[in-house]
Amino acid sequence: MLALMARRKLAWNRLAGSIEECGSALRLLEDLEEANDPRLFAVESAEITLDQLEERVISYEREDIQLVTVLDAAYPMNLRMVHDRPPALFLRGALSPADERSVAVVGSRKASPDGLEKAAEIAKDLVARDYVVVSGLAAGIDTAAHRGAREAGGRTVAIIGTGLRHHFPKQNTDLQDELGRESAVISQFWPGQEARRWTFPQRNAVMSGFARATVVVEAGNTSGARMQARLAIEQGRPVFLLRSLLRHQWAQTYAHERPGTYVVETSEEVVQHLDRLYADDLVLTA
Amino acid sequence: MAVGVEEASRTYERAMRNVAAAGPGVCEVCRTFIDPNKYSRCHPCAFQPDNLAAVVPITYSERLGQMHTALRNYKDGQSRTVRRNAAIRLAAILWRFLGDHEACAARAAGVEGFDLVTIVPSSSPARDEQSPFRELTGWIRPLEARMRQLLEPTGAVEGREFDADRFRPVDDLAGESVLLLDDTWTTGGHARSASATLRAAGASEVALVVIGRHIRPEYVPVDGSGETCGKLLKGLPESFDWTTCAVHE
Repeated sequence: MLALMARRKLAWNRLAGSIEECGSALRLLEDLEEANDPRLFAVESAEITLDQLEERVISYEREDIQLVTVLDAAYPMNLRMVHDRPPALFLRGALSPADERSVAVVGSRKASPDGLEKAAEIAKDLVARDYVVVSGLAAGIDTAAHRGAREAGGRTVAIIGTGLRHHFPKQNTDLQDELGRESAVISQFWPGQEARRWTFPQRNAVMSGFARATVVVEAGNTSGARMQARLAIEQGRPVFLLRSLLRHQWAQTYAHERPGTYVVETSEEVVQHLDRLYADDLVLTA
Repeated sequence: MAVGVEEASRTYERAMRNVAAAGPGVCEVCRTFIDPNKYSRCHPCAFQPDNLAAVVPITYSERLGQMHTALRNYKDGQSRTVRRNAAIRLAAILWRFLGDHEACAARAAGVEGFDLVTIVPSSSPARDEQSPFRELTGWIRPLEARMRQLLEPTGAVEGREFDADRFRPVDDLAGESVLLLDDTWTTGGHARSASATLRAAGASEVALVVIGRHIRPEYVPVDGSGETCGKLLKGLPESFDWTTCAVHE
């Protein structure tokens, strides 16, 4: 599977589905190699070998980095249901069956004091209702959500936009290490991957897919949280926009036109919607 | 706990695409993409028995896209939670669509309305016994009075091709018109096999409403054009319009 990821023959967000359909990563790898133009083979074989990859995995384990693939039973259940799930996750800490009740709380890096307070409050309320708070370990709203959940004694999981060997931003190094020891820090990128413009949007798709729903606290027109709202809705996951967001044009468009978007004022409303939409005994009514 | 049909039906709306109108480059039956210079129907629709009075796909379903993922998860999802979560939302799509467009399908089929509604069974008797699609369609309350099991798999036929021996009738049909429901149309072999058996059992007309018209994004309908089905899908309007359908007038 890592060889398939390294070779980049298939788009990252279609690789997991292709592997699952094939039933075996090795068979898919062999099929792809067979289909290759033989003249390209010399170039291909200069790429990383399976042996080298095995050594890498062993070295990750020495750093306490585990690997969970889409073929493992431990792969997160919510993520399994979305089209753009990554083939493998790198992980510090441990996944939990409780992660099925994950809610992402996201927003701007440059947040107002009100926004930070609101994020922490929502995180606390979610934890009190046995939800797991997921965020991206960025400055601002993300940090406030993680800290709010921790202070309330709840589980909070970080899904980061770099490889696990990196800390971004640096001031959250301690928080990242704490979460890696006590709950989970997840990355879909090779552990050495640095922060790039494209890593964050890809990460947002994994965060929205890992969570049952995304709550956007404060986010301007160019925010990554806005991007996550779009990705969540494409995955069929509800998005909750705090009413204060409606001063932004994008939030108004979402509120009026997009399916699965709910404008809320309190975390209690978020919980009520989630308890309904994900009820075990859910039935349809006209 | 209850969720409204309209709310649930919109879950995958951003992944749904209205099927293109029949015309150049679009199969006049199943609405897949074809070479406009050579054909008016795709190969399977041109060469299988033409025994469906109307074929009405609700949305395209791009291979490995979110609709395809949902259409797989409701059957093969790893846990009951995953399967049911997808199933209830797909049931809502079918419920809402039929409420608005069953009459369109009937008109296209040349009948006043459908006397009976049934599903295309699985080809394997073991799988059919616990058919997730039968369970899903069972939640669509407006269909309850007309919903009947009319077909069962013989178990003798595998694969996707049309085969009149794939299913056998459960009952004789005395000239009734039948609305056939299915989750996915890939080549139409299953639906046409089902229709052949229903017609042989006496059905007057059989029409099909199917949730997803499966599309392989890498397929290139016009040789050498480089224009893939994936690209053609991207060119379709992004917002799904519930007020129209493949046979809307």
